[in-house]
Amino acid sequence: MTADNPYIPYFATIEDSWFETGGDRCIKTFKVVFDDPAVRDSWNHKPGQCAMIGVLGEGESMISISCSPTEGKFLRFSVMKMGKVTQALHKLEAGDKMTVRGPYGNSFPVDDWQGKKILTIGGGIGQAPLRPIVEFVKSNREKYAGLTMIYGARSAGDLCFKGEFDQMSKRDDLSCHLTIDIEEEGWDHNVGFVPQMLLDLNPSPENTIAVTCGPPIMIRFVLENLKKLGFSDEQVYTTLENRMKCGIGKCGRCNAGCMYVCKDGPVFSYSVLKDIPEAFA
Amino acid sequence: MLLNKEKWPEFVEKLIGKNLWAPKLEGEAMRFALVAEGEEVSLEYGNTRVPPKGTAFPQTETMYRFQLGNTDMQEPKLEEERILLGVRPCDARAMAIIEKLFRWDYDDPYFLKRREMLTLVGLACNDPGLNCFCPSVGGAPDSAEGLDLLMYDLGDSFLMESVTTKGEALLAETKELLTDSDADAVKTKEKLFADAGAKIKRTVDHIGIPEGLPGLWEDPLWRRVSASCIGCATCTYLCPTCHCFDIQDEVEGFEARRCRMWDSCMFEEYTLHTSGHNTRPTRRERTRNRINHKYSYYVDKFDVIACVGCGRCINLCPVNIDIVEILRQVKEELQ
Amino acid sequence: MDLEQLRKTAAEVVARDDVKYLIGWKKGSYGSRVAPAFVEDAASVIELIFSPSCTANLATYLTLVEKTPLPRGQETDKRKVALMAKGCDSRAVVQLLVEKGIHREDVIVIGCPCPGMIDQSLLAGKYGDTEERSEVRWNGKDFTLVRGGDEIEIPRNDVLAEKCRLCRHPNPVISDYLIGEAVKEWDPAEDSGVGELEAKDVDGRGDYWEGQFSRCVRCYSCRNVCPLCYCQDCILDRLNPTWINRAVNFSENTAFNISRAFHLAGRCIECGECERVCPANIPLGKINRKMAREVREKYGFEPGLDPDAEPFQASFKPDDPEDFIL
Repeated sequence: MTADNPYIPYFATIEDSWFETGGDRCIKTFKVVFDDPAVRDSWNHKPGQCAMIGVLGEGESMISISCSPTEGKFLRFSVMKMGKVTQALHKLEAGDKMTVRGPYGNSFPVDDWQGKKILTIGGGIGQAPLRPIVEFVKSNREKYAGLTMIYGARSAGDLCFKGEFDQMSKRDDLSCHLTIDIEEEGWDHNVGFVPQMLLDLNPSPENTIAVTCGPPIMIRFVLENLKKLGFSDEQVYTTLENRMKCGIGKCGRCNAGCMYVCKDGPVFSYSVLKDIPEAFA
Repeated sequence: MLLNKEKWPEFVEKLIGKNLWAPKLEGEAMRFALVAEGEEVSLEYGNTRVPPKGTAFPQTETMYRFQLGNTDMQEPKLEEERILLGVRPCDARAMAIIEKLFRWDYDDPYFLKRREMLTLVGLACNDPGLNCFCPSVGGAPDSAEGLDLLMYDLGDSFLMESVTTKGEALLAETKELLTDSDADAVKTKEKLFADAGAKIKRTVDHIGIPEGLPGLWEDPLWRRVSASCIGCATCTYLCPTCHCFDIQDEVEGFEARRCRMWDSCMFEEYTLHTSGHNTRPTRRERTRNRINHKYSYYVDKFDVIACVGCGRCINLCPVNIDIVEILRQVKEELQ
Repeated sequence: MDLEQLRKTAAEVVARDDVKYLIGWKKGSYGSRVAPAFVEDAASVIELIFSPSCTANLATYLTLVEKTPLPRGQETDKRKVALMAKGCDSRAVVQLLVEKGIHREDVIVIGCPCPGMIDQSLLAGKYGDTEERSEVRWNGKDFTLVRGGDEIEIPRNDVLAEKCRLCRHPNPVISDYLIGEAVKEWDPAEDSGVGELEAKDVDGRGDYWEGQFSRCVRCYSCRNVCPLCYCQDCILDRLNPTWINRAVNFSENTAFNISRAFHLAGRCIECGECERVCPANIPLGKINRKMAREVREKYGFEPGLDPDAEPFQASFKPDDPEDFIL
């Protein structure tokens, strides 16, 4: 990201890293700080934006920035171990370096949402892009009329940011609702799928913005159920991901219809998204 | 200005020292290559097999080099000026068209630097190929768009018209070989290239297609036109406006480079997620994307069709998938 | 070729409940080109043709079908596919059967005895080409080009495809229906291309292929068109590990082309498709025919003739020659 070459990444050092979940496709969160103080200061991302992070010699992946700029001069990424690049990232520990370029894409219009109630509906790793909204709203709590979170995963072990949810559940200025797909011992929250939990909670669409991210099948049913609850298309937002290489609208593969997810997205209001034929492919 | 064909060898000779690239016969096909000897240059060709887009957007190029464990990154020095002689108007237009994408919000330093160092000397088409359809998509056998200098073959001489200051400079450097053009030459040119345009038989009626295409998303036509597709990249790699790329790291010992290379939306793994999910799972979706990208998305974003009608994808498709025919069917469905 | 018999047979076949479609040829979009046709109903058989332009090997479509995940409750379409097959195409079918790439009950072979096909680029080079549709016909000994109102006689050897000059099996080696009568086999020409290569020394061969492979644009049309290149997971597409870099240079291009040739040794049925489709005009046929010649001369094996044969690379005989082992 030099002035004349957007493909050259910055280096950032991992300050801390921890596993959110276990298993073959475990999720690891990295808290990183740019090596160059000038970059640290000038970097300015908004909730919903992404960055290309990578390991030299292995490649780069587009990952959503899972922290809000209000949290401090660092970045957080929660990465699921999937392919070549994410496997290499998972090998990194505190003190190691990764490459970062960005921030890319549009963002959730959190400023336009002031005065409204915010409802986030996440599933699995899909909570990562929603977390910056949650943190942003928490830091500016007085500007928003409410904050409700619904978050689910296959099992308790597959939930990300568990400690944070535990902390948040003690607060009375927001409400969080956790759910897992199948009953398990020691679980004292809801059991069932996220879209059903949404229906059960029956949130009022009045003055509310709903934001959802998760597996495609979950998003599909959440969108259906939001409609049933009376949410208009303009009140619903989601964020997409597609395979990407450049992150800056050149390499060509991330398009859904005429929209380049890396530039025109990743955040879309459902009123726009519903007319993009490939959005849910 | 006029260049008598007798002076042609001298003209070429003058350019050879300036990193001259021109169509050369390689195997059985014409391809742009570095010229060492004047005789190698051949203007007896329709379109080169591979378009000259690689001179600004190489099939493989190093983005930067680095050593594992080190944070130094060395960008390649792109300082070599180069003259391309005998560029067909469609291929030059294509350069101008993809430049829009490479300038979209983020300037692509590699393409733009390479492009800036090119001087494109065009050669208008006296005799367009049988699958050419440039006039249908905004071009012409004598279009000057994207060129620095355009040559018209008038039989005994070339009429040389500069388009940019780079072109003018080239004319100035070779002025002892040139004579002033006259009204007759201009008249001959007009006649010749009106005739050339009239030789083009294939046409695409694109009116309404950019707006209409997305509406045909689930139309059976996509299955029909993609049924015989074998999923190779001939149509896209040989397309002068196709510009998609992949980025890969190559490591040898501790020495490594990050490079980019042409990629094709016709390949299965182009949109394959690591999870196994593919947003374009079959050749039907991939063919639909190729046509939509050229004739609708690109128009939507950059206000120009990303197809210059060079006919390469038609000429070289192993199974006779013909974009003119596809667009005819699209048009039919829209009516 | 008896077109009436072809269309009648095709109509019968596609009308069957257990047949998905028939893969054949139809007129192409310009000149004397033809295009693959996927005929699903009896009404469409009228478009089927069989002419000297039908050079392509349609057997590749048997394994090129992309299988997408089925929606819950939906069953796989197990209907048969019918295929028009010349001698070389039928050998691909047999080789696929040998490798169990397809099953005999999944395919209906409409055998088309082949008097020899043209090479479109030779035809265009020598006789010009038109946007307007034209047609090439067999006229007994030679070809006739019907263009505009003209009928142009074309000597057979002027435009005969190389694979046909070298052909040893012009009649289908397997078929469920045979259209017309078997053709009289001709004496295959000497494979001078391979001969010239064999006459070169190692360095000479290296130089030759370096010149050829450096032109490769890695469009993978040779791999995709090849009826016997049908791995679900091709090493070329693998990223983790990356066996062959995507970078286009002599070394990676050679790795790709040589891997493919090795994988086809004892399997290539010499249909010449790789060479026909190559946009860089790389004579891939030579490398594959050289391998085929080695297998034929050393091991007495010719793939794609006997559906009950054992796959060459998976069979061992105690008296197999081993003089090439260092």
